[in-house]
Amino acid sequence: MLRAMTAVTALALAGGAAFAHHGWGSYDAAKPVTVTGAIATSKYENPHATITVRSDGKVWTVTLAPTSRMSSRGASAEVIAVGKSVSAYGYPSTATPDEMRAERITIDGKTYELR
Amino acid sequence: MTGEAPAILVALEESGFGAAIRQSVWLFPVANVGHILALAVFAGAIAIMDVRLLGGLAATAPVRLIMRARSVAIAAFVLLAATGFLLFTAEASHLALNPVFQVKLALIAAGLANLAVFEFGVKRALVGLAPGTIMPTSAKTAGLLSLAIWIAVAACGRSIAYF
Repeated sequence: MLRAMTAVTALALAGGAAFAHHGWGSYDAAKPVTVTGAIATSKYENPHATITVRSDGKVWTVTLAPTSRMSSRGASAEVIAVGKSVSAYGYPSTATPDEMRAERITIDGKTYELR
Repeated sequence: MTGEAPAILVALEESGFGAAIRQSVWLFPVANVGHILALAVFAGAIAIMDVRLLGGLAATAPVRLIMRARSVAIAAFVLLAATGFLLFTAEASHLALNPVFQVKLALIAAGLANLAVFEFGVKRALVGLAPGTIMPTSAKTAGLLSLAIWIAVAACGRSIAYF
């Protein structure tokens, strides 16, 4: 019985972890990138907030966290407003060119962890 | 990718309704949690019906037990469809092109077709059967198909975010 409960708990935890990291499968964690530039567009929306960032002649789409997590970490809609300078560290998409998923972003000298 | 999606789904996603779901603090999470809770109830009701069709839970007459469980399944399905529509609307243009989502929709259609075959065919052989009677092969087939289809639907649903 104890063993069964342990197994169920382990499965539930694994499921929770998979849920928290869902969608990271199509991002290449072996090739992290840092995108630095001005925020061109900003969407504070579910399921994930997104910004586009002009960097080195490219326009990156940077996928952020769900809005509830963004706001609880202090990254409000005002923080990621258009025109602000951002540095986003994360992983490039293996499916969509010039798209990345941010692990953390730094704006106005403050770093926000998004995972 | 948005360019390839049917115009009506792009319009749905870009509508004020779609934007409201994405921008509301609580609407998307409530739909998300509601979808999972409805799924749990639906899965339970479906399991009762399918286990009965396969010959389990034999102390109750099959049609009687199946009809009781079915009203719960229908209510849960309505909630699943409603919350699912909200979640779909928020990202309609991407989801429409998601291969796993397409498979999921096809499987739901198969599940409903299996239900229709049961309702207008298999069920007739079960009407009036006493508790404990050995179930006909047609009923066992319907139950097995139903279990397989709905488990696959749930697996696809969970996998959408990974494709």
